[in-house]
Amino acid sequence: MTSGAPFESPRDAPELDVDPLVAVFRHDVHKLRGRSHDAAQEVFRGARVNEAVPLGADGDAARLSRPKGAPDETVANHRSPRRLSLVTGTTAVASDRIPASDDAPLDWLVLSTDPDVLHSRWLTSEAAATFNESVYYPYTSLRFHTLLVAALLDNYRAGHDFADLHLVATPSGPMPNEGWTAAAARESEVVETFRTVLWSPVCALHVTGDPGDRASAPLGSCPARSFADVWSRLSAHPFDAGDRRWRRLDAQLRRVRSWSTALAYIEDYVAVYGDGGAR
Amino acid sequence: MIQIQQVLFELETDYQGHPYHVTGNALYNALARRVDARTRKQLHVSHGVFVPGEHGEYPSAHSDVGYGGVLGKSLPEVENYADLFLFRDAARRWLLDSRPRDAHNTHDVTRHGDRLSFAPRCWFGRPPEVRNSRRSVQWFVQCYLHCGRDDAVLPLDEEVLDGLRVGAARNYGLGELSLKDTQLVELDELDYSGIKDTALQLELVSPFVLSSEYPSADDQNVPWWWDADGELRRRETRLVNGDEVHTLATVDHGQVVAFTGEDAAVRTAKNGVLRVGTHSRFGFGEFRLRPTGSDRVPERAVGVGGEA
Repeated sequence: MTSGAPFESPRDAPELDVDPLVAVFRHDVHKLRGRSHDAAQEVFRGARVNEAVPLGADGDAARLSRPKGAPDETVANHRSPRRLSLVTGTTAVASDRIPASDDAPLDWLVLSTDPDVLHSRWLTSEAAATFNESVYYPYTSLRFHTLLVAALLDNYRAGHDFADLHLVATPSGPMPNEGWTAAAARESEVVETFRTVLWSPVCALHVTGDPGDRASAPLGSCPARSFADVWSRLSAHPFDAGDRRWRRLDAQLRRVRSWSTALAYIEDYVAVYGDGGAR
Repeated sequence: MIQIQQVLFELETDYQGHPYHVTGNALYNALARRVDARTRKQLHVSHGVFVPGEHGEYPSAHSDVGYGGVLGKSLPEVENYADLFLFRDAARRWLLDSRPRDAHNTHDVTRHGDRLSFAPRCWFGRPPEVRNSRRSVQWFVQCYLHCGRDDAVLPLDEEVLDGLRVGAARNYGLGELSLKDTQLVELDELDYSGIKDTALQLELVSPFVLSSEYPSADDQNVPWWWDADGELRRRETRLVNGDEVHTLATVDHGQVVAFTGEDAAVRTAKNGVLRVGTHSRFGFGEFRLRPTGSDRVPERAVGVGGEA
């Protein structure tokens, strides 16, 4: 087991040793850069990237959102790393908003050596939300896949097996003064480092082996595309099912099996319908 | 003999009613004005569940196996108990993995002024080299009817079932249902071997009513033969009859508990189809029994591709 160096590495010398939880947030950098796994580089601006994540957390998180085995191309007219939104039916953000040549969001998402900081940035990053987990499954979300990998790894390192884990739903707290930013996430009492996978105005969701007495449901015996099942077994409603908008969101979430797709659905839905303009 | 009449409707226009189901109450009220007094008195109507018309594969508990073509557009023959539930679970685990299954199984939302509705079909683009540039997935609604005592009431005629309108703004053309398929099923002739001599779970397919503001409706406890591990989620909903609105407290659908009445499994299974508790006539209190090892998430089922 390694521990993270508490300093920013100089850009010309590759890091030698990386905290596994830092590695989580860098393990799919090749996807953010539109490259295949085979063409992935080991170093990006001095940071070690595309490393394997320990304890099988990456494979288990993939199993939560994608079928196992050889992938099928499911959307023939969209061979692209851009995520498709189930809410709008189109790419999550117009693709010119994040030019492929602009590494600024990438720097933000991978260069820090502090895993807490990286978690807060992935939790709130719009840029990361525009990529899918696999071009074969364009409705999946690379961002939520990465957050799920972090949550699984953190739980595994704390001694929990997959079968011990629960989905926990809590209120997300009042809107921070500066908005739903990375800095606000680090200050928030709601956000649990590594274990919070969604922090949205409508609710916060956590994957944890320590559910306590919060609204929760077990993830089941093994990683599977089980979101609809787990969501509909939560011991209390995460949001006001008396409000027509949120009831409709709840109904849709009972239909989605892929975890990263479902988490992205919540976020997209809140962005489009959360303002209360339509019921 | 207990008969049920399964009915499959095609959703023709935008729908603005309950998002989880077309309630049994909405379907009952739409039917009631088209039938005679005797039928009106006898008729029990389940909730209508939304089904996409899409390519699928029969689940392992089903009497047919393998690829089933486009499911959802017609009612497959019912031979065993599990077949009854093919279209009753919103997660649609029979949709093919080789296609964008979650996109096929979520409703497209349309906006009418400040009100949102579900669209009757969802459009998907296709690659430029394909002749038709778009394809669509159509939504259907499946429900079933049965009668209290007087079986001669069923089946209802196709003219009675065709052209119902449900949900809000139904008088303005929304929520129109045309009849697609219907068939009679004899509950006593089905094969129940899948739930005999094994530990069972109970899955709540529609909400179970704990209390109702409806005049003279009894409060109910959670049945003793449900063994819930922890808290059961509640949800408040409403029963609307014309201008009267009655608030109901329910155990929310979709939850799974252990079943402790194995001795009476088959009888209980039939009761679950005919529904239990207050307002069961209007769709509430529907449940399904399932062997504990056969998880509703197929990858988790013991011995069926599950891995620890």
